[in-house]
Amino acid sequence: MNREPMSHDDVRAYAAGYLLRALEPGEEAAVRDHLATCPQPHPEFAELAGVIAVLVEDVELVEPPAALRDRIMEAARADLAERTLTERTRTERTLTERTRAERTLADAAPVPEAPPTPEAPPAPQAAPAPAPAAAPTAFPSAAEREIRRAARTSRLDWALRIAAVVAIVAAGAWGFGLQRQLDASRQFDQAVAAVIDAAGRPGAHSVILTPAEGKRGSGIAAVTSDGAVTLAMRDLTATSGGQVYTTWVIVGRDAPVSVGDFTVDANGTARFISRPEPTPPGAIIALTLEPNAGNTAPKGDIISTGVTPGATG
Amino acid sequence: MNERQTGLRGRAVSPADDADRAVLALVTDGQLDALQELYDRYRIMAYSIALRITTDPSLAEDVVQDAFLGVWRNASRYVEGRGSVKTWLLSIVHHRAVDAVRRRRPTSALPEREETPPPALTLPDIWSEVAAGLDRDAIAVAMATLTDVQREAIELAYWGGLTQQEIADRTGTPLGTVKSRVRLGLLALRRALGGAPDGPINPGEAPG
Repeated sequence: MNREPMSHDDVRAYAAGYLLRALEPGEEAAVRDHLATCPQPHPEFAELAGVIAVLVEDVELVEPPAALRDRIMEAARADLAERTLTERTRTERTLTERTRAERTLADAAPVPEAPPTPEAPPAPQAAPAPAPAAAPTAFPSAAEREIRRAARTSRLDWALRIAAVVAIVAAGAWGFGLQRQLDASRQFDQAVAAVIDAAGRPGAHSVILTPAEGKRGSGIAAVTSDGAVTLAMRDLTATSGGQVYTTWVIVGRDAPVSVGDFTVDANGTARFISRPEPTPPGAIIALTLEPNAGNTAPKGDIISTGVTPGATG
Repeated sequence: MNERQTGLRGRAVSPADDADRAVLALVTDGQLDALQELYDRYRIMAYSIALRITTDPSLAEDVVQDAFLGVWRNASRYVEGRGSVKTWLLSIVHHRAVDAVRRRRPTSALPEREETPPPALTLPDIWSEVAAGLDRDAIAVAMATLTDVQREAIELAYWGGLTQQEIADRTGTPLGTVKSRVRLGLLALRRALGGAPDGPINPGEAPG
């Protein structure tokens, strides 16, 4: 590639092409190199850049699809988590408990070599193997599809979500920022601390719960060796009247098993420890919003799901 | 050097831009809410630019996502006093869109990937505020003062993502002619919008 240095006057002649991004790559690099080191002013760039700002105004306005905002915000959230974790690992680690919990969490979700691109299909992850004599499921098929979609969530995404939770513990309220969310943040911190404590026990697994499409509520759970699920959730819609959130464990194609109910107030966070039920690797943990407590088959919508790690198909 | 243009339109920094800077400062702090606010302010412009350049709604979405994530990660590289947040942001969208169409076009050499726009694009730029104060009719009138070949060259470059060499090849015009059409076209547009008197761009500057 041609990267011969350009003189000051040469560069001035290239200003228009450079600003329109219409130079050949070698020329563009040479102009940039010059501008980076040139001690003299180049007002021709600023003057023409303004004209180019005018060209933008000539565009026909089109509203982007609403889903684009969610995609961007989700990606930014994952980026924030990764960034925070990276910064954190550079700093001194004082709390051995956190370090231990982090290792446990990191083991749960290996990071693939390449990040997924928007166009790329999600990283394949085998669906739970069908049981030979599957019991009839009470779940509507759409909901089941939703769970399967959640199960295919790429492993990188998982790792980042885990990082997000660890980062929140490490950074306290920093990830939330706004004053009005401080209380929710503190409560969530405490709930996460309980999850991390449980996740650090021998034979425990951690599970990240992500919201179903169009729903709110994400969090982290630890499944201890006795099958109890310790759950920390945030961003849930508050329950009202007799409503409860019910936690379900779904193994293979078996019918969902309720492991307990909880309510959520306006701050949207929840801390919950379930009844122990067998929860093997690959089991799905799902939250539904039920119209009443004590249901043995789900009636409400699926709010958030996660898959116990370790299933290989 | 910019007093002349500043005086032309009065206030150089609009209240909207002050607000943008405040939002961007929060983005620099890692505030997700601020990013969403910035997105909502400029999503239509950003998507419209990306769509016009790529002519592909799905690719345009990827470009906008790419650009806003670039802003999210590099908000600290925005330099106050060097042009508006809007100009900075939209120039990132423009660059990413041009990169995207060139990547799709096998014959095109891809510019080197950058996380931020070239430094010159964030040089002091009173004109972007001038632009913000112009209505679309005024801009259309100014565009109409260009010759057809000047307008074509500028549009093929800016909206088509073509390099000057590619414009020369496509239109069967010598490269030197394309370069001068682009440059003279931009200067004519500048004049038509009342930004500068006729004559050399930098009468006071000694050549280096």
